[in-house]
Amino acid sequence: MSEETKQVMVTVTIDGQEKLVPQGSNLIEAARQANITIPHYCYHKHLSIAGNCRMCQVKIEGQPKLTIACNTTVTEGMKVSTHHTSAEVAEAQRATLEFLLINHPLDCTVCDQAGQCKLQDYFYQYDIQPSRFTEHKEHKMKATPLGPEVIYDAERCIVCTRCVRFCKEVTKSAELGVFQRGDRSYIGVVQGAELNNPLSGTVADLCPVGALTHRRWRFNTRIWNTTITSTVCAGCSNGCNCEVAVRDNQVVQVKGKLTSQGNKGWMCDEGRYGFMRFEPERRLAKPMRWNGSTYELVKSEQIVTAIKTALFALKANSKAALFLSPYLTKEELAAALDYAQKAFQLAATSEQISLSPRPRAVSELEAILIASDYAPNIQAACALNMVEQSSDWRTGLNERYLRLLKEVKDGKYAAVCIIGDYAINADQIDAALVVAVRGAEFSLQLGVREDEVLGSEELAKGTPAIAKFVLPALTVNERSGIFINRLGREQKIKQLLTAPDEAKSEADWLKSLAE
Amino acid sequence: MAHHKILTENVHYADQHEIGRYEERGGYQAIRRILNSDPLSIMEEVKTSGLRGRGGAGFPTGMKWSFVPRNTGKPIYLLCNADESEPGTFKDRLLLERDSHLLLEGMMIAAYALGSHWTAIYIRGEYAHPAACLAKAINEAYQRGYLGQGIFGSDYGLDIVLHRGAGAYICGEETGLIESLEGYRGQPRLKPPFPAVVGLYDCPTVVNNVETLAALPWIIKNGAAAYAQIGTEKSKGTKLMSVSGHVKNPGVYEIDLGYPLLDFINNECGGVREGHSLKAVIAGGSSVPVLRADELAGVLLDYESLKTAGTMLGSGGMIVLDDSTDMVEVVANLQHFYSHESCGQCTPCREGGHWVEKVVKRIYEGQGFPTDLMLLDSVCSQIAGHTICPFGDALVTPVLSFIKKFRNEFDEKIMAALDRHLV
Repeated sequence: MSEETKQVMVTVTIDGQEKLVPQGSNLIEAARQANITIPHYCYHKHLSIAGNCRMCQVKIEGQPKLTIACNTTVTEGMKVSTHHTSAEVAEAQRATLEFLLINHPLDCTVCDQAGQCKLQDYFYQYDIQPSRFTEHKEHKMKATPLGPEVIYDAERCIVCTRCVRFCKEVTKSAELGVFQRGDRSYIGVVQGAELNNPLSGTVADLCPVGALTHRRWRFNTRIWNTTITSTVCAGCSNGCNCEVAVRDNQVVQVKGKLTSQGNKGWMCDEGRYGFMRFEPERRLAKPMRWNGSTYELVKSEQIVTAIKTALFALKANSKAALFLSPYLTKEELAAALDYAQKAFQLAATSEQISLSPRPRAVSELEAILIASDYAPNIQAACALNMVEQSSDWRTGLNERYLRLLKEVKDGKYAAVCIIGDYAINADQIDAALVVAVRGAEFSLQLGVREDEVLGSEELAKGTPAIAKFVLPALTVNERSGIFINRLGREQKIKQLLTAPDEAKSEADWLKSLAE
Repeated sequence: MAHHKILTENVHYADQHEIGRYEERGGYQAIRRILNSDPLSIMEEVKTSGLRGRGGAGFPTGMKWSFVPRNTGKPIYLLCNADESEPGTFKDRLLLERDSHLLLEGMMIAAYALGSHWTAIYIRGEYAHPAACLAKAINEAYQRGYLGQGIFGSDYGLDIVLHRGAGAYICGEETGLIESLEGYRGQPRLKPPFPAVVGLYDCPTVVNNVETLAALPWIIKNGAAAYAQIGTEKSKGTKLMSVSGHVKNPGVYEIDLGYPLLDFINNECGGVREGHSLKAVIAGGSSVPVLRADELAGVLLDYESLKTAGTMLGSGGMIVLDDSTDMVEVVANLQHFYSHESCGQCTPCREGGHWVEKVVKRIYEGQGFPTDLMLLDSVCSQIAGHTICPFGDALVTPVLSFIKKFRNEFDEKIMAALDRHLV
């Protein structure tokens, strides 16, 4: 479609409101623009039209029967009545709800979807009366695992086929299908397959009812007891928009957020279930100082003075190396570069400042939603002039990081600053590096880990404490600020978890150190 | 009255299904005659004949063909719907088994008129013997060069593929049939787009009933005008009626459209059984409204007259019920069928259909409540017209029409149940 044809607008009248909408718009989307919600289950903006739930029926002038809005493209002069103005539509909607609920187990009291369930919501909005169904309900399979991350309850299912269409159209792995027919219909995994694609958890998000639930979050919490925050996943530079539910300083549920661009509501399992992977097992809560044999706790004011003194004692023209974490926000990166300038007279473009893109390999299926690096804010390196944007700037950054790491080991730098968790990957830390860092005239670290053990499995995740001065900073879940994703879109990340008392953002620490 | 024998002229010959005998009796003459003519003129001829779809809806065949766009660059497919599954309907079976080549010739004519080079017959899975007959006939036709590349020595190529369904009623719905033929679950598609534009493999597609296609050779041989002279003004030609139920001579009959319904039952079918009287007639297959015996006077067997009487000619599957019939049982039986055959795709039919079945069954078993009839009326009215395909309407029709026409029998069952509840 050329730009010109996109611009053609048509006038539609929805419940008496005239609205100009782009030609070719879907009626549900057109109504949304007029602030009228047409209720629906099976329709999803980014999936094909199934038209099977019959919830979105509307009356269109000139058509003898009710029409489903999801399969209707608006045309010039179309006059539409929704449930607000047409008793016939309201009655059809009430009947659809009644039909959907007759075989539903109505087990809201133990259902994870309660509070975010379209059956509940629409029932309260459009029906709210006792059922006339007095027959025996159909009984079906309960709690069937479809794959490692998703559990299926056939009794709650309304066979809207969103999950089936997702696996067919988006991941193209087609593990799911509808089995049986009539009111025995259920969703199942095709023979020999398992719902284990890299985006499999998304089907539970798509489920408008409680039929598909996240295996690891089942029976965890009632959703109304959580705080839900719209933020951006820090798993990779794709920057998927999501809504995170937090309870007791723990992430208890993550849902993809329906965005017009970007991730369209999809989330990869790695990002969705991985929010807590940024949290260290032993959280650094107070500043520490290496006394030659062990770390001792120091008060905040004292350590700031001590660091300033140590920096002051550094000979002029001492060479410094700075390792910045790829999980810092744009603001924090700017503060770190500012510190590099003030303390070591290093420009942003300096080859002595590293920011590792943490490259990774992604399979074809993963590439739907996962970028080929772990660094959520790598594009900020360009925005802050650390590197010139070229075809291989990421490779260049990574090479600079590895070279700097080797030079530190070789003792070429008098001062070493490690700013933020993951500034140096744990698997690249060995005894030689620790000796080199602690042996440098000046070494400062802003991190979140109290651990000083090397080489253990669980530590392969972040940067353990290795410098002389270690200040408690923030994990990525505790930050707010701007991330720039791989397409250059600036997105706001919001604080999800509360940091311990003396932990402060890297920007705050560096500001007080530079005073 | 002597009816025209257009479809059943030769079915009484035991060897009619053999290609040699079929040709001796005038077969494969019509297709030979038209192979060099303009396909559009054939379509005009069919339009003039007034032939209407015999599957149930009665849509004019020539007009259906004219909806097919011919310049899309995509192939055009002709599909023969032999998924005859409507309870009470078994008219196509006669043609499939006894005069298979008549259908093949009809398909050749239709395919030529449409410019289709690949056609398929979708036959219901339960029709094992008719499928075997067809398979043999298709083989014979290929061997003689009547199918394949350059049929009858012309430069027009045509293939006919026989596909057996897996036994689902809904695959008789044309888009359900197309889905099934493509290898997917037999579930009707959303319309629009209609199959004439986006059908099999997203190509323009025409789906015609067996009986419709089988009428084409006669129309070509004898001319559209001759066909149009038979029947009434709007319902032209002959119709196969498959009669079952309480008549002396059940079976398949070919009648001129416009023949009086009572005459048909009393003369052709021999009337109801001795000692019984006529109670009701379902004129065109189980999903059309029932007519009481006292409503039958003056009703003619054609599309318009039956519509005036409040029912439909449908597929011509006539079920005759005499005074020994328990009407509640009839509905319970039909609802069992319909709820079993619901494809389960859309909500009202999937959930509502089974609800209706359960309520009707409960009434039949003597557990009904006085509110049940109101409930049925309300539920049925919310299924009809709210589904993807016409199955929703088909499943509520028997319930609504039987309750309307035989309300007293339902009331009696419910009152008897009420008495029991009180004791």
